[in-house]
Amino acid sequence: MLKAKEMLSSAVTRRNFLVGAGSAAALTAVGCGSSSKGTLPTTPPTTPDITDTDILNFALNLEYLEASYYLYAATGSGLSASDMGSNAGTVTGGAQVPFASKIQQEYAYEIAQDELNHVRFLRSALGNTAVSMPDIDLKNSFNAAASAAGIGASFNPFASYETFLLGAFVFEDVGVTAYTGAAPLLKDKNFLNAAAGIQAVEAYHAGEIRTLVVAAGQTYVDLANKISALRAKLGGGNETTLTGTSIVASDPTNAIAYSRTTDQVLQIVYGMVGGNVASGLFFPNGLNGTIKSTAA
Amino acid sequence: MATTETQILDDVISSRRKLIMMLGGTALAGALLADSPKADAAALTDTDILNFALNLEYLEAQYYTLADSGSTIDTLGIGTGAGTSASGGGTVTTKPGGPAACKVPFVTPSFASYAQEIATEERKHVAFLRSALGSSAVAQPNIDLYNSFNAAAAAAGIGPSFDPFANEVNFLLGSYIFEDVGVTAYHGAAGLISDKSILGAGVGIHAVEAYHAGLIRTTLWSLDQANTSLGIAATATKISTLRSTLDGTGNDDIGLTTTMDNLNGTSGSYQASTIVDADLTNSQGFSRTAAQVLAIVYANPAGTPGGFFPNGLNGNIK
Repeated sequence: MLKAKEMLSSAVTRRNFLVGAGSAAALTAVGCGSSSKGTLPTTPPTTPDITDTDILNFALNLEYLEASYYLYAATGSGLSASDMGSNAGTVTGGAQVPFASKIQQEYAYEIAQDELNHVRFLRSALGNTAVSMPDIDLKNSFNAAASAAGIGASFNPFASYETFLLGAFVFEDVGVTAYTGAAPLLKDKNFLNAAAGIQAVEAYHAGEIRTLVVAAGQTYVDLANKISALRAKLGGGNETTLTGTSIVASDPTNAIAYSRTTDQVLQIVYGMVGGNVASGLFFPNGLNGTIKSTAA
Repeated sequence: MATTETQILDDVISSRRKLIMMLGGTALAGALLADSPKADAAALTDTDILNFALNLEYLEAQYYTLADSGSTIDTLGIGTGAGTSASGGGTVTTKPGGPAACKVPFVTPSFASYAQEIATEERKHVAFLRSALGSSAVAQPNIDLYNSFNAAAAAAGIGPSFDPFANEVNFLLGSYIFEDVGVTAYHGAAGLISDKSILGAGVGIHAVEAYHAGLIRTTLWSLDQANTSLGIAATATKISTLRSTLDGTGNDDIGLTTTMDNLNGTSGSYQASTIVDADLTNSQGFSRTAAQVLAIVYANPAGTPGGFFPNGLNGNIK
């Protein structure tokens, strides 16, 4: 159970972050709880909870990103206004991919619909607490990531089917680790069930994309592994080098999928390691919601 | 063999939680709760759930290991006995010729690699669960990888027999039978696990099963589209239909086909694949109760032993 215990520790670390580093809202909530009700036990709560709403909104930000990427690739345009929320951000970049065959299109259409459905589900589940889509960058982000990964000065994932696969590769394994990390934090069993269901779909996608990258040839496998190495640097390791005999990304001892804390996921999508990182790369103005900044 | 009714009666006497698992429905569980406040699905322990998963992992590990290497997992250092005993597990029924005859004659190197990878990962799942359970681990039950496939093929309308070890396409179809079921089983179990660290491991294995399923379904779909006259996707879809028929829902399994999607438009003008086995509205993986999983692996809607487990699972959920 060592791995499982590590996962639990990760979750606890996240809670400590909220206490120590200061989500102002969370701290305020604690203050209210202990001071305004004198009849409560004298020991104040020391671990303000991340709420299920916080976690689902964190997930919603990631789904906005994925849905925008795949919808642009599939159709040349992004989310409909009705799927973004009020005063939504804008998407920089994005274009229809010149797919070369029907099956390539079918793959893209399927994943685009799945990610759109995830946005709609989470927005519906969150109701009026759903955050709107933040500003998303699908152009400068990939260029900067390519440079950081040692791929080159620029990278356009919308140029071809193969580059589209690499762009998808950037996201899917991260989505799996994010949901694997978040699921045990959810208190409501219905939300846990939904999160596990979405996690499975992200893993289906990841298995599909990794299989297709291998099928595309060693050139693309090598590029994917540069992306994987960059994610490892940003996201606390948790990567499996892609080869013909390692389609699955999981820990080599127990074959259990990796789990990432929200901080580790933020560092990947912001493209920067460190404390108080609150924006960058795919989210030039940060995520919307409570979980949007790494620990100090 | 007890009838379903007498078996249920036995369960009422011996274990209320088992009855709940067998009959599944919330309404029934509710009726039972009204009858006895102590009867509760929560009476299932994490050990019960992990052992349920272990039975399924024994099945998957044996299937893939035989296909990859022509060996059973015990010969590769994986324990199959109760608790920490390396030996003492149940038997594995294979095709005539024994384990060696099960090594698939792969002609496509990448498919052989897939078999090797999945075999390795499923053995790790067995080892992990046995380690986590320690002395509580159940032994491997008797497993049938011969008559089971023949019966399933007949039930699905695929043909009178089916040998998943005969060639690489059959191997992929045999894999298709298992992976989506593994995903739904872990999904259903997640909500029942009490310990957060065990839950973390459970959802982690859940994801790996979905990676496998994505790999297998992508490979089968691409083979089918390269030569539609082989009917590969149609066969896979028959397997999906059989699974949803056995579990009693009729609608919780998507085969390999296409759907017309709206995407960000207002009409279904985008023909999409169905690599992902998930509900088409919310795109969430399906979830199955233990009873529904048993109906599938027993190949029997009533949930009495048969199919891949001719003598039933070991443990409290069986």
